[in-house]
Amino acid sequence: MKMDKEKEIKLSAAKCRQNILRMIKANGSGHLGPAYSCIDIVAALYFYGMHVDPAAPNQKDRDIFLLSAGHKGMAQYAALAEAGFFDKSILDTFGQFKCRVPGHPDMHKLPGIEANTGSLGHGLNLACGIALGKRQDGLDSRVFVITGDGELAEGSNWEAAAVAAHYKLDHLTVFVDHNGLQISGNTRDVMSFEPVAAHFAGFGWAVKEIVGNDVGQIMAAIDSLPLEKGKPNLIVANTIKGKGFSKAEGQAGYHYWKPSDEDMALAEKELEDYIAELEK
Amino acid sequence: MKYEMFDAKKIIGDVTLAEADVNSSLVVVSTDSAPRTGMGDFIRKYPGRYYEVGIMEQGAIGVSVGLATTGKVPVFCAPAPFVTARPFEMFKIDVGYMHQNVKAIGRNCGFNYSDLGPTHYGLEDMALVRLIPDVVVLAPIDASQLKGAMRAMLRYDGPVYLRIGTGPIPKIFEKAEFEIGKGSVVREGKDVAIITTGEISVNVFAAAEKLASEGIDAMVIAMPTVVPLDEAIIEKAAKATGKIVVVEEHYVVGGLGSAVCETCARLAPVPVRRLGVPQTYLSAGPYEDLVKCCGLDTDGIAGSVREFIR
Repeated sequence: MKMDKEKEIKLSAAKCRQNILRMIKANGSGHLGPAYSCIDIVAALYFYGMHVDPAAPNQKDRDIFLLSAGHKGMAQYAALAEAGFFDKSILDTFGQFKCRVPGHPDMHKLPGIEANTGSLGHGLNLACGIALGKRQDGLDSRVFVITGDGELAEGSNWEAAAVAAHYKLDHLTVFVDHNGLQISGNTRDVMSFEPVAAHFAGFGWAVKEIVGNDVGQIMAAIDSLPLEKGKPNLIVANTIKGKGFSKAEGQAGYHYWKPSDEDMALAEKELEDYIAELEK
Repeated sequence: MKYEMFDAKKIIGDVTLAEADVNSSLVVVSTDSAPRTGMGDFIRKYPGRYYEVGIMEQGAIGVSVGLATTGKVPVFCAPAPFVTARPFEMFKIDVGYMHQNVKAIGRNCGFNYSDLGPTHYGLEDMALVRLIPDVVVLAPIDASQLKGAMRAMLRYDGPVYLRIGTGPIPKIFEKAEFEIGKGSVVREGKDVAIITTGEISVNVFAAAEKLASEGIDAMVIAMPTVVPLDEAIIEKAAKATGKIVVVEEHYVVGGLGSAVCETCARLAPVPVRRLGVPQTYLSAGPYEDLVKCCGLDTDGIAGSVREFIR
């Protein structure tokens, strides 16, 4: 049964990857590496972990998802569209003037988007405020955030790290999309915030490390929340940037991708083959 | 003229508490700043609606906005530079771009922390917030307006920045009614129109009387809302007098003076003299000395107007 569910989420993640390619194809370019890196987590949250309803996207007791690393926006659009929050044809407008799927998410444009992110280091503080507000209202909503690892250099994150621990926000969970790469190269070389888990633990968070492209491990991590009563949850998700397209995996150069027709066809083919394998 | 003086912090705290009694969504966010902003009674009465985050202004704005997305009406009050300049980008994106119902109060604005110097002066706050689309900017002039502006702000649906000093504030106007976006003619006159905002206005009112005794008939317009600006009253005054002076305890760049120039350039081009703080880092010292140094005391304002209309 568990295996069936895992397979189902893997399939959803693969379909989300197809949606990401659809957007890049429409626009001619996009943040492939970051979106592919975190899409397994996003898919596991929308299709397994979170209490959200595409038919009632504003219900008060919903779980909240914030993409602090807003440049991974295609990952959220892909999942929202796959889950039925809006029609997939909207994905084809990606990058167009006045489109509802801009490069960085805009809460006023689409259902299911909870904040305007894209400038790094905003999501965690917003999440703390949301978690406090939900608690004040007596709701058992949980708040999930994805940050990048390069993003952790923004000091505002560490302000939020203190707030979350101080207020014992154990209904807040942060996944650090720990792919080790940022625009200029290896995150460790550019500005190291290693060891990430230990830093957050030092602030008073409960921490866990997983393979962030392993759907089974992501589901197990979600099942184990809260990791410790009274502490916010930090999941270091060790991911591979560009995971899901062989040429892009682990390559900083695919952070922003302007594909040739040939490369796009290859990326699509790899996904089709993977989906066919899953559906066997 | 002698006015009865009031404690601005107490007004802020009292109005917040009174509104909180009838609006259960109202919460207070503090950066180690609320207890000194008259919020003591609120904190004692509603401890579950008080969020202290310590000395972190980026965090405070983010947390406030997060709370606002859940339907709360967060009131965040701290020294003006730490509400605006320090977390500017959070203000721009989280409060502005997300258009959330946050009420930010920049206290001790202008030279209020005169003994501390430029680190604590709030002389660019209006310029900064004015740049962010759709955020209301209020600068009440006296105790009555502060009370009215606080009420109006807390009942308004949308982001608002209110600037105020926190020393004793005079009660000049009888009524506490306050309409966001409206200026008012405090004194009719035909030779020049003086447009003023914030607590420095008391010197403008005195300067106008002084000028009157010399035969100069100055119109005085109180402008406690800087965004959205009452352009109609400016246009009318410009056409009636042909000369405008703007007075504010703020850098001459970016504040009400700039806003009036922009309006006049478009609707009624007339000469405008901006009286405010020059673009420099002024020394610390007694408040009155700083005001005088910038020509914002009664004699300084009267002198500038006299010279301007000659």
